[in-house]
Amino acid sequence: MPITIENVRKEYGSVVAVDDVSLTVEAGDFHCLIGPNGSGKTTMFRMLLGLTNPTDGSISIPDAAVGCGFQEPNFYPTLTVRENIDVFASLVGGVADQWRETLLEELRLKRALERTAGDLSGGFARKLDLVLSLLKRPDYLFLDEPLGALDDVSKERLLAFLNAYTEDGNAILVSTHHIDDFEQYVDRVSIMHDGDLVLDSTRAEVDLGRYDTLQEYYVEMVLEREGAAVALDG
Amino acid sequence: MSLRSLLKKEFHWSKHNVAALLFILLVLPSFFAYTSVAFETVIPRDAPMAVVAENDEVTENDMTIVEGSVTAFSDPVIVDSEQQATRMLRREAVYSVLVVPPNITDANNTNATFTYTVDGSIVPYKEPSKALRNVMAFQFDSLLNADITVDRQVLTPDNTLSEYLIPVFLMAILMLFAFTYVPYNLAQEAEVLDRLRAESSLEAVVGAKLIYFTTLMLVPILVFQGAAGVLDYASNALAPGAILALLLTFVILAALSMAVMVLFRFGTMGRFVNVILLIAVVGFSGLAYPVGYFSTLRKTVVRLFPTHYAMIVTRSSMLKNLDLSLFTDWVVGLVAVALVALVALKASSVYYRRTS
Repeated sequence: MPITIENVRKEYGSVVAVDDVSLTVEAGDFHCLIGPNGSGKTTMFRMLLGLTNPTDGSISIPDAAVGCGFQEPNFYPTLTVRENIDVFASLVGGVADQWRETLLEELRLKRALERTAGDLSGGFARKLDLVLSLLKRPDYLFLDEPLGALDDVSKERLLAFLNAYTEDGNAILVSTHHIDDFEQYVDRVSIMHDGDLVLDSTRAEVDLGRYDTLQEYYVEMVLEREGAAVALDG
Repeated sequence: MSLRSLLKKEFHWSKHNVAALLFILLVLPSFFAYTSVAFETVIPRDAPMAVVAENDEVTENDMTIVEGSVTAFSDPVIVDSEQQATRMLRREAVYSVLVVPPNITDANNTNATFTYTVDGSIVPYKEPSKALRNVMAFQFDSLLNADITVDRQVLTPDNTLSEYLIPVFLMAILMLFAFTYVPYNLAQEAEVLDRLRAESSLEAVVGAKLIYFTTLMLVPILVFQGAAGVLDYASNALAPGAILALLLTFVILAALSMAVMVLFRFGTMGRFVNVILLIAVVGFSGLAYPVGYFSTLRKTVVRLFPTHYAMIVTRSSMLKNLDLSLFTDWVVGLVAVALVALVALKASSVYYRRTS
């Protein structure tokens, strides 16, 4: 069963953050939601997680485990890394020791276990947030800018791990404004701009035309839309 | 001009925090200024006093004369029986009981003895009650034809001021914790709130916090009990009535402070409002001074606060070991207020969710 988003709209006062967006997140897909700052990606994420209510439309999530990694790492800064993991493992329940070990190993977090989370560097903070998001081995994993502050080696390890994770039948929805890193793994691409969904397609169906990469394609598409908007305003 | 730039920065900061500044500079000073009207006198001029006839020979006219005579320094309440008056005294509904003898207007009566009874555990009223006895003796003697005596009696236990302050300080500590540490702790939670809400719910988070902190309040209760033991005070913080009243009070106040924090979205303004609530609750719960001290207005306000009744139950259990059945109605009331506070906390969480 996919996650289905139908005609979702979100208004903050007079500002429309998401405007009539419909899309689906299929099981086993590595799905990238791309868009510039303020395009509505994070609002979409928050609505998917039930943290923000849509003004209109509906979101249907099957009876499955959903995990989330946040743009701003979300954990208890005064607790140690180990304590944070213990707290959230206990909260979500049923976290196998082996899986916890795998996550710590894959994200190279073992040596920071006894450090106070608030003292972690940006990269380690991101890794801790990722571990917390993966603890319950979610069927659907939502990650908002998951590569921020990670070094290149950590990025490669994480991407390989996430790719293997989708091959086990789990879905990953990544929100980013920089798709270069994900390009070789992504199954489906959705592009948002100014609250609109301007592209929703499998990677194979996207015709890059004169562009070499998805990143160039996406940047040009956004620039064209902004140029058109400026021209209309003029 | 770095000073000018920095002052400009302060001005911009103020513009963005205008609500907080208005609250601190306008609302708070106004609140303090106006609360001063509740403090008019330093002696108990309106402390409730039960006036009861010694027997059926006391006439209505006698009672009216006595009632009028004591009005200058108390708020007299005519009651039907000494038993009822004593019950009121034990519940701090009144702070003294005056038993009126018969034939007080009869010049041939050479032995009209009024009995003026105070509670030995209400220490702040004990010293003034000596002076009030003298005032009454003088007033009745000059007003009534009979040969008047006013006999002052003190109900046991006769506590010291130090003993009296033990339950007061304990209650104050719980109030301080509920309105300062609990909001501070909840504000820290904001950093991880998205994950908590995604994995659980806001209601579960605040509910767990309430259970944890309420249990934690047993620690200061034990500390006070230990201190009282070391200092050899006649005070029992482990009396079931005291523990019940203290924990119910904490649940009410902590639920209220958390509801405020949730309504203010865990922001600084929520903590300001909680400090105001702390001042109001401490100032108007009649923790240390009997109602009737300071002003009539304060007496009216104090009796609107459930914490006032919680304080009486706590004090009575700790110092007098009174049977909890004497306060059944108040305990039921505290439970009802606690339920209302929990509903308010739930409602604040629902509001938070709906407005996210």
